[in-house]
Amino acid sequence: MKRYLSILIVILAAACSAPKAPGDYKTVLSFGPGEEAKILEAFLSLTDSSSIELKEGLYKFDNLSLVQLKHISIKGAGPDKTIFDFSGQTQGGEGIRVSEVKDFSISGITLRESKGDLLKINKSENVRITDLHTVWKAMDSSNGGYGIYPVLCNDVVIENCYAEGASDAGIYVGQTNKAVVKKCKAYKNVAGCEIENTTNAEVFDNEFYGNTSGFLIFDLPDLSQRGGHVKAYNNYIHDNNERNFAKSGSFGTTWGVGNAAPGSGVIIQATSDIELYNNRIINNNSSAIIIVSGFFVDSKAGEKIKASYFPVSKNISIHDNTLEMGPSFPEPVFAHHTGKILVAIEQQLNQQDTSRKGARIPLILYDGISTNVITNEQKINPDSICIKQTGSNLFVNADALNIGTKNWRLGTDMTAFSCK
Amino acid sequence: MKRLILISMVLWGCGQPQQPKQAFEFKEKLSDYGFFTGELKTLTAAAGVQHYELSTPLFTDYALKDRFIVLPAGKSMQYRDSGTLEFPDSTFIIKNFSYNDTAHIKTLIETRLLFKDPFDQRWKVMNYLWNAEQTEAVKWITGKKVPITLLDDQQQKVSTVYQVPNTNDCKRCHSNNGQLLPIGPKARNLHPHLQQWVTNGSLKGMPALTQVPVLPDWKDSVHYTVAQRARAYLDVNCAHCHTKGGDAYNTGLFLEYEQTDPAHLGFLKGPVSAGGGAGGLDYDILPGNADRSILAYRMNSTEPGTAMPELARTLIHKEGVALIRTWIDQLPRNQ
Repeated sequence: MKRYLSILIVILAAACSAPKAPGDYKTVLSFGPGEEAKILEAFLSLTDSSSIELKEGLYKFDNLSLVQLKHISIKGAGPDKTIFDFSGQTQGGEGIRVSEVKDFSISGITLRESKGDLLKINKSENVRITDLHTVWKAMDSSNGGYGIYPVLCNDVVIENCYAEGASDAGIYVGQTNKAVVKKCKAYKNVAGCEIENTTNAEVFDNEFYGNTSGFLIFDLPDLSQRGGHVKAYNNYIHDNNERNFAKSGSFGTTWGVGNAAPGSGVIIQATSDIELYNNRIINNNSSAIIIVSGFFVDSKAGEKIKASYFPVSKNISIHDNTLEMGPSFPEPVFAHHTGKILVAIEQQLNQQDTSRKGARIPLILYDGISTNVITNEQKINPDSICIKQTGSNLFVNADALNIGTKNWRLGTDMTAFSCK
Repeated sequence: MKRLILISMVLWGCGQPQQPKQAFEFKEKLSDYGFFTGELKTLTAAAGVQHYELSTPLFTDYALKDRFIVLPAGKSMQYRDSGTLEFPDSTFIIKNFSYNDTAHIKTLIETRLLFKDPFDQRWKVMNYLWNAEQTEAVKWITGKKVPITLLDDQQQKVSTVYQVPNTNDCKRCHSNNGQLLPIGPKARNLHPHLQQWVTNGSLKGMPALTQVPVLPDWKDSVHYTVAQRARAYLDVNCAHCHTKGGDAYNTGLFLEYEQTDPAHLGFLKGPVSAGGGAGGLDYDILPGNADRSILAYRMNSTEPGTAMPELARTLIHKEGVALIRTWIDQLPRNQ
């Protein structure tokens, strides 16, 4: 400890007294593999305006944390070179935990195999996550929930990152204002990327593939804020057909990602002001795009209406995407509770309309539960769902309130939902 | 009183604290502070060091806890109805953790200090780790895993790897809206001490004791209902994080004793970010059914990523889980 402090003082003395530019740090510390104990101590005794640089190699940690700091950078030699392994974790919810840090950046590291989430950033501002990989090698329900997990943050950029094996979402942004996810890849997670109760998010130039479900935009009830105002464009969302491994047993929960059916490209649930355009959404073989309300997963969603939650998806604009689906459902969908509903929709549709000649479930699924169920009205498209897509077999209104009853009537007429 | 001032002057170097020019530095050894007299391990309080206990304490692996408050000379705590008492600058709060070993000998593990720095009026934390000889505890910021075999409350032998928290771990539980704060010493949880503190001048501004709110003693089934005891237990063990501005603010699960919103209390509330920790269950609390309630499930686990609280617990608190399960099972099913 003493020796470390004296080194720190030398470094402090050598460094300039004030940062010259935003990228400059008063303290710069550098470590290599084998110096885990010193790194742990450095994280714990860090002062404002510090940068920690990690040389190439494998590092083993139980967990690391940064709390209540300003202007901090954690920088590895590159995700293929600097590896943090958390497989020995015995306590705590995450590999790296960052809480209440203003102006935080992390880059150039692979984080892997923690018991909980890999990188959680809580209540922080001006967060930059770049060239960061989070990996659990096996698709296992005992994996941590999230790979990259900023929550209750303000102004987050996640760029050039990769997430694999999360038992919830590989990249998850929650209860945050102003977020950008760009040029990232997510593979073999339950959800590739999820934007939840988050406002003013842009998600573009990403590739989400090989997950249960590619991309989710959700609002959940009883949280600090309502989400919405999300744009997603120029993404390649493909081949998301894996089983949902969100925890064995009941496949998770009423509200959570356990509901995501294997084979879903994009799911929009209980949120508003979403624009989805210029994406390639291909070979997600249960549904390319799903637009649902909170009622779809919880009959009591109406009781949860507050300033911070509204269960019906509103102001959804979907246009100019490339949508394609494979010839049959992926096998895991038949074992999944929401998946079974999608399968039933395809069967019912083909029974209802034999001229379809057994065609696939349409590319875009809307649950048809509008604010009319709350206001007791009969308005046409009261929630401004607007779709501008070309091609055939595009749309199904699933009439979800009547599923399983003799009144169940599926509709494929998109006229009311076509963008004006 | 005179003697107290004198001792405090020796302890702090001056009787009247002044605005210091630099932030407080914690001392290297616990003995450097002079909190205790005689053999250090006996934790015999020096003059001016006041021992206290909480009606309902936080569970930490069946650890025995010795708590002390050290006020600066001539200063007193200010009574507050809610939250913790208000402490003057330069207050120390001391919490010592030990366990009964298999020979029923009290073995000290760590001593945690909270200090309210007069430099910036902010609380600072430091941990001290006891040596094997039990003669001294030294400053220790990085946390440690200590294999121990202890006797639990039923005098059963239990082996575990006790986790001494690192200083950032301390900040997690002690933080609200970015501010580090004490958690335990709330008036409502300190009833046996309040009158004595008023009498010796340590506490000002307290109304009649009957006007002070009471947090139920979680073990006292004679005076309190299961619901009152369960809510007190959750308040002390969970609510420092599960509160607005706390570390678990993002979950929307708020477990303060005053909380009345059924959704915030977890009744039929879906989990938000529990991941596998939800155990495949749908609700934080399914009234009437502890087996199907995530809250009870996570309290009954020691697996990282599932176990709640996340820190300061490697063993299941059997008695605590039993109380919470009973409470949930007794909740009316139709809420």
